[in-house]
Amino acid sequence: MRNRATGLLAGMAFTLACGTSAFAQELTIFWAEWDPANYLQELVNEYEAETGVRVTVETTPWSDFQTKAFTEFNARGSAYDMVVGDSQWLGAASEAGHYVDLTEFFNKHNLSEVMAPATVKYYAEYPSNSGKYWAIPAEGDAVGWSYRKDWFEDPAEMAAFKEKYGYDLAPPETWAQMRDIAEFFHRPDDNRYGIAIYTDNSYDGLVMGVENAIFSYGGELGNYETYEVEGIVNSEQNVKALEVYRELYGFTPPGWAKTFFVENNQAITENLAAMSMNYFAFFPALVNEASNPNAAVTGFFANPTGPDGDQFAALGGQGISIVSYSENQEEAMKFLEWFIRDDVQKRWAELGGYTAHAKTLESEEFRNATPYNEAFYQTMFKVKDFWATPEYAELLIQMNQRIYPYITAGEGTAKDALDALAADWKSTFEKYKRYE
Amino acid sequence: MATLVMTRLDPQSRAARRGWSDLTIRNAFIIPTIVFLIVFNIFPLLYSLYYSFTDFRASTNAPANWVGLANYRELLNDPFIWANFAITAKYVIVSVAGQVIVGFGVAMLLNRSIPFKGFITTLLLLPMMLSMAVVGLFWKLLYDPSFGIINYALGLGRFEWLSNPDMALYAVAITDIWMWSPFVMLLSLAGLSAVPKHLYEAAAIDRAGPFYTFFRITLPLVAPILMIAIIFRTMEAFKTFDLAFILTSQPSAEVISIRLYKMAFQEWQTGMSSALAYIMLIMVVAITNIYVKYLNKVKER
Amino acid sequence: MAAVKTRSEVALNRIAIVSVLIVTIIFLAPIYWIASTAFKPRHLATTIPPTVVFQPETSPFVKLFLRRSQLREQPTPEEYAAAPWWEQLVFDGGEKVVRDGRGNVQFSGYPSRFMNSLIVAVVSTILAVGMGTLTAYGFSRFKVAGEQDWLFFILSTRMLPPVVVAIPMFLMYRWFALNDTHLGLIILYTAFNLSFSVWLMKGFIDEIPREYEEAALVDGYTRMEAFFKIVLPEAATGIAATAVFCFIIAWNEYAFALIMTRRDAQTAPPFIPSQVGSGLPDWTVIAAGTFLFLLPVAIFTFLLRNHLLRGMSFGAIRK
Repeated sequence: MRNRATGLLAGMAFTLACGTSAFAQELTIFWAEWDPANYLQELVNEYEAETGVRVTVETTPWSDFQTKAFTEFNARGSAYDMVVGDSQWLGAASEAGHYVDLTEFFNKHNLSEVMAPATVKYYAEYPSNSGKYWAIPAEGDAVGWSYRKDWFEDPAEMAAFKEKYGYDLAPPETWAQMRDIAEFFHRPDDNRYGIAIYTDNSYDGLVMGVENAIFSYGGELGNYETYEVEGIVNSEQNVKALEVYRELYGFTPPGWAKTFFVENNQAITENLAAMSMNYFAFFPALVNEASNPNAAVTGFFANPTGPDGDQFAALGGQGISIVSYSENQEEAMKFLEWFIRDDVQKRWAELGGYTAHAKTLESEEFRNATPYNEAFYQTMFKVKDFWATPEYAELLIQMNQRIYPYITAGEGTAKDALDALAADWKSTFEKYKRYE
Repeated sequence: MATLVMTRLDPQSRAARRGWSDLTIRNAFIIPTIVFLIVFNIFPLLYSLYYSFTDFRASTNAPANWVGLANYRELLNDPFIWANFAITAKYVIVSVAGQVIVGFGVAMLLNRSIPFKGFITTLLLLPMMLSMAVVGLFWKLLYDPSFGIINYALGLGRFEWLSNPDMALYAVAITDIWMWSPFVMLLSLAGLSAVPKHLYEAAAIDRAGPFYTFFRITLPLVAPILMIAIIFRTMEAFKTFDLAFILTSQPSAEVISIRLYKMAFQEWQTGMSSALAYIMLIMVVAITNIYVKYLNKVKER
Repeated sequence: MAAVKTRSEVALNRIAIVSVLIVTIIFLAPIYWIASTAFKPRHLATTIPPTVVFQPETSPFVKLFLRRSQLREQPTPEEYAAAPWWEQLVFDGGEKVVRDGRGNVQFSGYPSRFMNSLIVAVVSTILAVGMGTLTAYGFSRFKVAGEQDWLFFILSTRMLPPVVVAIPMFLMYRWFALNDTHLGLIILYTAFNLSFSVWLMKGFIDEIPREYEEAALVDGYTRMEAFFKIVLPEAATGIAATAVFCFIIAWNEYAFALIMTRRDAQTAPPFIPSQVGSGLPDWTVIAAGTFLFLLPVAIFTFLLRNHLLRGMSFGAIRK
């Protein structure tokens, strides 16, 4: 009975919406151009069917996403009601008043428990440990690895590997093993290479790649509450992590100096590399026969551990925030209430979204849904992120300037690069009076 | 400013007996353009001149604070910025020289009796009809060491065009030369076809060598229009952004526009980036001014 | 050139023809490669050696016009059979067509952006060339105090890197409510091209003998009539040449198109590279977008090609 009533209501709302489009509520969500945005469009279509509120997901290429979003914010534009924004934006967007404060909403729905803890910490809260929330974790994401199962499971290769390194060839559990395997498969003469890693320094590609090594080696980028960096970002662990990344660069395919998610997926589809780093959100293309001829022989594993058993991956993904210049804030709030419902989050995962909803993530159903969901599930509880302060972009560019020449051209040493970086960051924080 | 334009006309110029006077026509033709350019170019320029003395950030609500020359001082003391300028200079020289050599060379060839000349010339213009960003995208694929066709066609094996720090800037310049030589070619062709034939005939009668003919007759006569091509290409090369940004991220190929873009739209340091923009602008104006002076001298000859 | 061709000159001419042929092939190879990729099946796009012979496909163009997403479950045979041909093509590519809440097929941004590009480029070209011709005539025929300085000022407006003025422009446009409007982009591109147009047109008009107008004035024409009936027809080739350049530049502009538009006035250049975005680039779709986008400007240039060449040489004649 109840179902029929809702169906009827929805139908009425639908007709109303069609008939009086001028009065119908419309919401616009801004995101980057990629598959999850299409999945979100499918999800919000169901919201429209339920409530008659039309929701459109607007997208722009990744390379322009930050520029376009902030140009719009800075102009106090009301074109977007909500934005699915990068975790690093939280500081800049909240301090400048671009985002609506969602703390009350967050606490009312007890979201810090409903969503996976790491996603709450990095997608929603700013400043660190302040208990203030600006976004609802929407698309969880982190770095994982794909690999060529057929290369790894070839008996001849397995025997040769065992003989050379003294242990069995299998998806690596530590960074040291990963280095060995990369070296083992690196055969430029056969046009086969060991590993594909992120090296693009035009925005955050390289830094996120290096973070996987740094965090797993037990290092940190600094103290996100006190802004202390000296001795942290240039710690011994980080020097080692940077050195291993440099070493891995030696086993990459030729011309691997401006690579990000596209190139790293191509490394698998074009038979270039044995292993490839990438965000989970880009893996659907690898299990699709039409886009990846090697789909049947592509496997996945979580970011390996460092020498001391630490295992952390660089965080990607975004939270959904309400733009404070939107004229439909109440309607947007209602949408968010719908979005966090258990059944909606479950549906979100079914459609291909990477939910941050703890219960859905833990369900067997989710973990078995794709070949990489298990690795995703494991990773999402072990993620760390870059600085989220408003000056994060300056920190990013300084890091690129210091580490890129070392990693790709072997200029100087890891220690020198990180020492210089610590000094850069310190003076940047001084400039913004973070120590006062 | 408009009053400057409205000076007295040359008394010799023939004023029409009816209709608008020459003065009115001149002002009606010129002043709208000048006003339009002032509103849409000078106004934003003054805006950013003001910003260049502040610590304004467009990404925040914080008011802009006057910091005087601090931005300029910081920029001119930044070794990375100086490196960017040196790279840009190298890029402009290589790319414009390449375009002039290729463009002028092809124009010389086309200036002979070539069948389907008009058709071929138009076909050669195709590269400059593409958008920079698309050209960047496809050339990145063409240069790819593993599945690019350039290495395949030239038999270069796995040569790394874009990730070799010594090669990257030249690779970007090659793409730019491919795209814009046709522009130089078209203007040169125009200049060449305007050289009076009787001059060549006279030279042939005097048994002048080909070098003499080229340097004494062809080049001086084509020089003015070639200079216009060079002026426009230098200005554009100095501003190169999309192409270099998409093709490579080598620090050795980071031209100044890329640095400026990062500062303005990634870091949102609006004040600082305005100052950098001003430094760039002064340089371009200075270089162009030299060119234009030279152009006028060439024209007078 | 001497009337009677010597043997060495004939040989020289042959060498020139062969060289022109080689240069043309080198210059056109990338264009051919883009155009052929637009008709290739996806798996042949990046083969080495490049695939030259293949069965041409329309799927890249179909995909270009539709909003698609990665297929997560294969369609059932019934679903597949019930789908229209274009949807089947998308299914074959491992993707599905995205629909909105009412079940309507969603188009990609390409068609509407293409139309926007057309409107903006055509109108701004007409404005830039029109204003440029008038201004050039003004400078060419009348005495203007500080003429050289004014001309340099006009040129200097083109020296600004777009990034420099982008932020103040953006704020100014917000003030005038010009952001994301066709008018806003038209004004920008007109301002952009005006300097080029004035400089080129001045070259052309300088070459039209003043005596033509003088004679017309004596015959009782007003100055305006003389301009429209005598000067403009004479300058037609120059106008055509200038129009081609202005159109090419407005058609392909990227930076401002990206920053100044959101939805209503978005043009196509920023859209084409965005097709790389989702995990794995489909080069065939990118090539299809590029190919279609090249067509209008190529056609425009080919139609005006005679004017273009004559116009250029006309402007170049200097005393």
